[in-house]
Amino acid sequence: MSSANEKFQFVKIDEFASEHISAPHYSYWKSVFKQFFKSKLAIAMLFMAVIIFAIAMIQPLFSNYNPLASPDISDFSIRFNRPNLTYWFGTDHWGNSLFDAVWSGARTSITIALLATSINMTVGITVGAIWGYNKKLDKYLLEIYNVIANVPFLLVALMLIYVLGPGFWQLIFVLCMTEWLSIAYFIRTQVMIIRDREYNLVSRTLGTSSTRMISRNILPFLTSVIVTLLSREIPSIISTEAFLSFLGVGLPPSITSLGKLISIYITYYGTYPYLFWIPVAVLASVSVSFYIVGQTFADASDPKTHR
Amino acid sequence: MTSKEVLLSLKDVTITFPKGKGVFTAVREASFDIYKGETFALVGESGSGKTTIGRSIVRINPLAKGSIEFEGKDISGRLNSEDTKWVTKSIQMIFQDPATSLNERATVDYIISEGLYNFHLYKDEADRKAKVLKSLTEVGLLDEHITRYPHEFSGGQRQRIGIARAMVLEPKLIVADEPISALDVSIRAQVLNLMKTLQEDKGLTYLFIAHDLSVVRFISDRIAVIHLGRIVELADTEELFKNPLHPYTKSLLSAIPMPDPIMESKKVPLFYDGSQHDYSTDLPSFVEISKDHFVWANTKELETYTKALVV
Ligand SMILES: Nc1ncnc2c1ncn2[C@@H]1O[C@H](COP(=O)(O)OP(=O)(O)OP(=O)(O)O)[C@@H](O)[C@H]1O
Ligand SMILES: [Mg+2]
Repeated sequence: MSSANEKFQFVKIDEFASEHISAPHYSYWKSVFKQFFKSKLAIAMLFMAVIIFAIAMIQPLFSNYNPLASPDISDFSIRFNRPNLTYWFGTDHWGNSLFDAVWSGARTSITIALLATSINMTVGITVGAIWGYNKKLDKYLLEIYNVIANVPFLLVALMLIYVLGPGFWQLIFVLCMTEWLSIAYFIRTQVMIIRDREYNLVSRTLGTSSTRMISRNILPFLTSVIVTLLSREIPSIISTEAFLSFLGVGLPPSITSLGKLISIYITYYGTYPYLFWIPVAVLASVSVSFYIVGQTFADASDPKTHR
Repeated sequence: MTSKEVLLSLKDVTITFPKGKGVFTAVREASFDIYKGETFALVGESGSGKTTIGRSIVRINPLAKGSIEFEGKDISGRLNSEDTKWVTKSIQMIFQDPATSLNERATVDYIISEGLYNFHLYKDEADRKAKVLKSLTEVGLLDEHITRYPHEFSGGQRQRIGIARAMVLEPKLIVADEPISALDVSIRAQVLNLMKTLQEDKGLTYLFIAHDLSVVRFISDRIAVIHLGRIVELADTEELFKNPLHPYTKSLLSAIPMPDPIMESKKVPLFYDGSQHDYSTDLPSFVEISKDHFVWANTKELETYTKALVV
């Protein structure tokens, strides 16, 4: 009989083996996209947003719509045609194709929304991050905020447009004038919540500068919050623009927008309802699709939803 | 202790925080020296001001009074960028809770490199990478960990990432604020041993903060006992355990659990009550009662303490 000793042999413990992590590598952005594409509704909405955006942007290629010129105004046979194969969205009281008008308007509305939103977000996040991070600044900025936030937006907007005159950039200016401040205030509060967490104290003991602190320690934690803001900001700008256009202020007669079309065609609400409802439907589709895509993306960018 | 070169020196350090209309004094006139290469323990109950002292040494808490000198230079006020770089590199901190002290949105690579980036302490990318990998290895982690995020690690591993982050700067003094109290009991020894090895290899000096004397006994050369922001006793470890003089130190000693259950059951815990001191006319001060043994006491108490000293 062989002794037990012959059957066994000593092995060295591999101390590092217990340190090994077998889980696959975690990548933040990969997880975000994986989570996002789990939602069928979000995929459908993303698809819709992309289509609407694409058609609106290529609009000048398929039509030379000009709100000031109505080339077919003397041809009575093409006034108030209901949607058909030649005129997909029908024609209006001056014989213009509504399809051309709507996409020209959508182009303006989307461009304005994207431009104003990027300005508002960039300025708002930058100011908000510094505001929230710097304790001394807070007192002063809060005073300024309280004053400006209590001025009725519409009043100031109407007044400014009256002073500046109608125009594309004037409208952008009005849409950006105060909006960035409410974004900044929101970001400030968020920054304050994470500013004093311990890992930020650690960074201070490592000599990390304020700029790096904001960009590496604070903003990455706000991705989800910022995307949420974005998904609200775009539809909100679109409807504010539509509202101002509806009131007849903002854009000059040479530029159309969804809001302007709605305000023109509301006269035919009872007699030719398609003239009213089609621009409204496009406006709603833009807002809803951007909003849902944004919200789903915001949820997906919160690491708590990963795995 | 062979050499007795003073590395860090606190003189009458007082730290206050604004509280309502007035101020709250968290630390009162703390004075002590830390010698090069030693482990100096700061022990006291929760809220006694240990973390506050530690943070003032890494220049997060400003001083209301007093000064802190490192290698003979006052580091408590504003410093120019050259000196800031030197102090930051030389004095690093290990934090109590590894669950909150790592940036969750950064990779281990960035976390460990943060100090290197701040002062550009590397020749090129390859050099930085090499430094990061070296310090990961030193704390027993693997090269493959550098692309991982903190949430993928266990508590003990996270704490070792925190240690690597401090070590990569090649500091001389480490302020370790209760580095093992948030860890699972099973891995406390591992982290303590790691700290011990690093100390021997690199000739590090530790300020080790703890809230009870049991841990500190086996790792520290000298111990300071702090109560409500006041250092009440300071002595070599052996001396403090042999000759505890201040009643608060005695109460802390009586709180150490005994390994023998019979002795443990017979133990009489001492409760410390500050009102036993009569400091109305006879004012106390921090006195060296025997060689290297300091105690906070007045003249009358000193007499009793001197009689009680066991030589
Ligand atoms: N930033 C601060 N602002 C106001 N008060 C503070 C601040 N930091 C600490 N304190 C107060 O100072 C006192 C000492 O706190 P400190 O954190 O130094 O205690 P500690 O000895 O480290 O306790 P623990 O063992 O619980 O960590 C406490 O009463 C605490 O409330
Ligand atoms: Mg503490």
